[in-house]
Amino acid sequence: MLGASLYIIGCSARNRVRARLRRLREPRYLIGAIVGAAYLYFSVFARMGRRGRRAGPRGGPSAATLEALRSGAPAAVGLALLAATAVGWLLPFDSGLLDFSQAEVQFLFPAPVSRRSLLVHRMMRSQIGILLGSIIPALMVQSFSGYARLRISIATWLILSTAKIYATGVSLARTRLTSRDARARRVAWLPLTVLGSACAIVAINLLRAFRAAPPDGAREAIVRIGSVVSHGLPRVVLWPFVALAAPLFAPWPGEYLVAMLEAALVMAVCVAWVLASDATFQDAAEEVAARKAQQPGPRAVKYRARATGWDLAPSGRAEVAFAWKAAMQTLRVVDIRSFVRVAAILVLITVSSTAFGRTSGLPAIVGVFALAGAGFAVLMAPQILRVDLRQDLKHLELLKTWPVRASAVVRGEIAWPGGLLTVLAWILIGIALVLSSANFSRVPIGVRLDAAGAAALVAPALVFAQLTIHNGVALMFPAWVPLGSQRARGLDAMGQRIIMLGGTWLLLAIMTLPGALAGAVVWFAFRAIVGPLALIPGAIACVVVLGLEVLAATEALGPLYERMDVLSVERTE
Amino acid sequence: MAISVEHFSRTYTTATGTVPAVDDLSFQVSAGEIVGLIGPNGAGKTTTLRALAGILRPTSGHVRIDGHDLVAEPIEAKRRLAFMPDEPHLFEYLTVAEHLRLVARLYAVEDFERRSRALLGELELTGKEDSLPAELSRGMRQKVVIACGLVRSATTLLFDEPLTGLDPLGIRRMRETIASRAREGAAILLSSHLLHLVEEVCTRVMIMDRGRKVADGTFDELRARAELAQAGSSLEQIFLRVTGHDIPSGQP
Repeated sequence: MLGASLYIIGCSARNRVRARLRRLREPRYLIGAIVGAAYLYFSVFARMGRRGRRAGPRGGPSAATLEALRSGAPAAVGLALLAATAVGWLLPFDSGLLDFSQAEVQFLFPAPVSRRSLLVHRMMRSQIGILLGSIIPALMVQSFSGYARLRISIATWLILSTAKIYATGVSLARTRLTSRDARARRVAWLPLTVLGSACAIVAINLLRAFRAAPPDGAREAIVRIGSVVSHGLPRVVLWPFVALAAPLFAPWPGEYLVAMLEAALVMAVCVAWVLASDATFQDAAEEVAARKAQQPGPRAVKYRARATGWDLAPSGRAEVAFAWKAAMQTLRVVDIRSFVRVAAILVLITVSSTAFGRTSGLPAIVGVFALAGAGFAVLMAPQILRVDLRQDLKHLELLKTWPVRASAVVRGEIAWPGGLLTVLAWILIGIALVLSSANFSRVPIGVRLDAAGAAALVAPALVFAQLTIHNGVALMFPAWVPLGSQRARGLDAMGQRIIMLGGTWLLLAIMTLPGALAGAVVWFAFRAIVGPLALIPGAIACVVVLGLEVLAATEALGPLYERMDVLSVERTE
Repeated sequence: MAISVEHFSRTYTTATGTVPAVDDLSFQVSAGEIVGLIGPNGAGKTTTLRALAGILRPTSGHVRIDGHDLVAEPIEAKRRLAFMPDEPHLFEYLTVAEHLRLVARLYAVEDFERRSRALLGELELTGKEDSLPAELSRGMRQKVVIACGLVRSATTLLFDEPLTGLDPLGIRRMRETIASRAREGAAILLSSHLLHLVEEVCTRVMIMDRGRKVADGTFDELRARAELAQAGSSLEQIFLRVTGHDIPSGQP
């Protein structure tokens, strides 16, 4: 199986590289690759060079701090690894090592190979991603020599590989915690018990050390953590975690090599633990195979059939049908009760912030968060919430057979995400207004009310304008838009995303300009008559202009939708 | 004429150049007719059906449904169409009943409740109304697609491998459904590799090869053609002869 695994990995890597090089013949990929390479150069390598030139006696931490970090860092990182290890049992994450591709399920599962070999195969396949992940931190570390970067990469690789294998072990053991077989149950509980005891021992000792006298600054805290975990029982229980972290900080050559040996030993124990879960692996792998067969496609979202309280009327505008469809998509993932709970929590936070009074500082903090959240909901969320044509392009074959005006399709597609983000923005603007006295006490309440009203008016216009741009871009350049949850990989794909983002922002600026100008003119005209209240007619003027632009844009996008070829919608690798 | 295709061509652009998928295809299907579209893999059958459904735009030529050009009057043409593809494309977040409701809304179906109840029963989907596509077998999903196509009074039905994934009872019912829709006056174009189905259900057959129509007529007409008469009397034998894949007698 080892040979077959290497063959699959080798062929896949070679063919992927070939395909990516071949697609550079197309201008959009070539441009994407150039932009991606430029971004990578200026954000990583150029900065590295600048840092290297800047490094010197001018700045940086003191020698004492560096020494404290050097001696205490392995223990601190080891402690963090212990915490992460414990969290791994509590949260429903898995390593993805059991997530076999459909081809692997079809070819390898029926093949005469042991489940253990399959697991080894998956471990080997995951190495390319882990290796890339190991190189990046080493590149980001400033003023290090090439050899030092290599050593850091190897140490990071050991930690990431062990983490991935350990997470798989947790996934496998978790399924057996409630097994009917008493022996299997005991075996599954054993590592959890050992880990729980280790956490308790370390926590008690740290509490004792820190309760005696609070540390004076971060340096002393690191030194004290180092001192606690390098003595007695904490040292014993933390050893595997500190051993894994040690190569990151050990000096070359002697200490580094010894640390590497110890870390490799920890990894070997993890591998042995996972391989010992052979029987469980069989069940888990079969479950994954069944799931894959039912839900083709990468990382399929799990929808739940439940009543949503919105039944589509058999007749009416097509736009509403599209909005309803998108609403079902959201509500089949997120229960409507969750929305109510979030709203209740927001109200509770606002009321408690008001009740605690201005002096507590809480209203100011919550107010700032609400403002920032409103800004995010209006300016960034339309890029993230893709419950529109950007996702529906994968259903284009079906959509194209429907007798619906193309402009109605576009308007219907943006109606639900636009409405949802508008409500979110309004809630956050409302919270910011309620708590505004904490941050803007010098601004009269009347002005604050006017400003909040104007913001609430402009918010939906900006949201819908952005969604129109995103959907327009999806129609004009469908091959650049990832379908659903798919993500194209590679330098060229990264460059394409950067170009798309820049283009979208530029278009938004251009689209907003007439509305902003109209708003400014109206505000200026009314300011002398009604004072700060002029913000409201100014906002209305801006909204009217932007609204007309959105309507005109959706009409203009209609012919594009009609002409759009299903074949231009590209599936990612 | 329910379906009218005139000089329809469709090309694909690949890395190596332009490849013709369908080349200068013309045919017509009248109301009440069931035309079987057959041909080897890559003959252009699916491309033709997708163009007729409004999914692909013709590179050249015209496609008309009840006299409405699919490019010039797409909404009027599509309103009369129902396309049942071989691969069931469903919204993974809508239940079976919601799919039917959505289609009813988009096509302005009157008396939708009664029609959908009857269809769900006819296609053995009763009890699955609140199921999501992921909870259904492939055959069931195929039936949902067919139900969505039949819930409206389409005058033109396009079937691409309609029996894929269906169980024997489902296949039998599907054959009856197709025949009954034709009796009610629908024009039906059916693409399938199952030649016995085509022979049994269709009133006319059209054979495509390498993007071109190579034969068109009733079974009797095809059998009567001089060069095909020697091939034999079954559709399979005629198909193999027309597409140049028949094995001369005496050879293994």
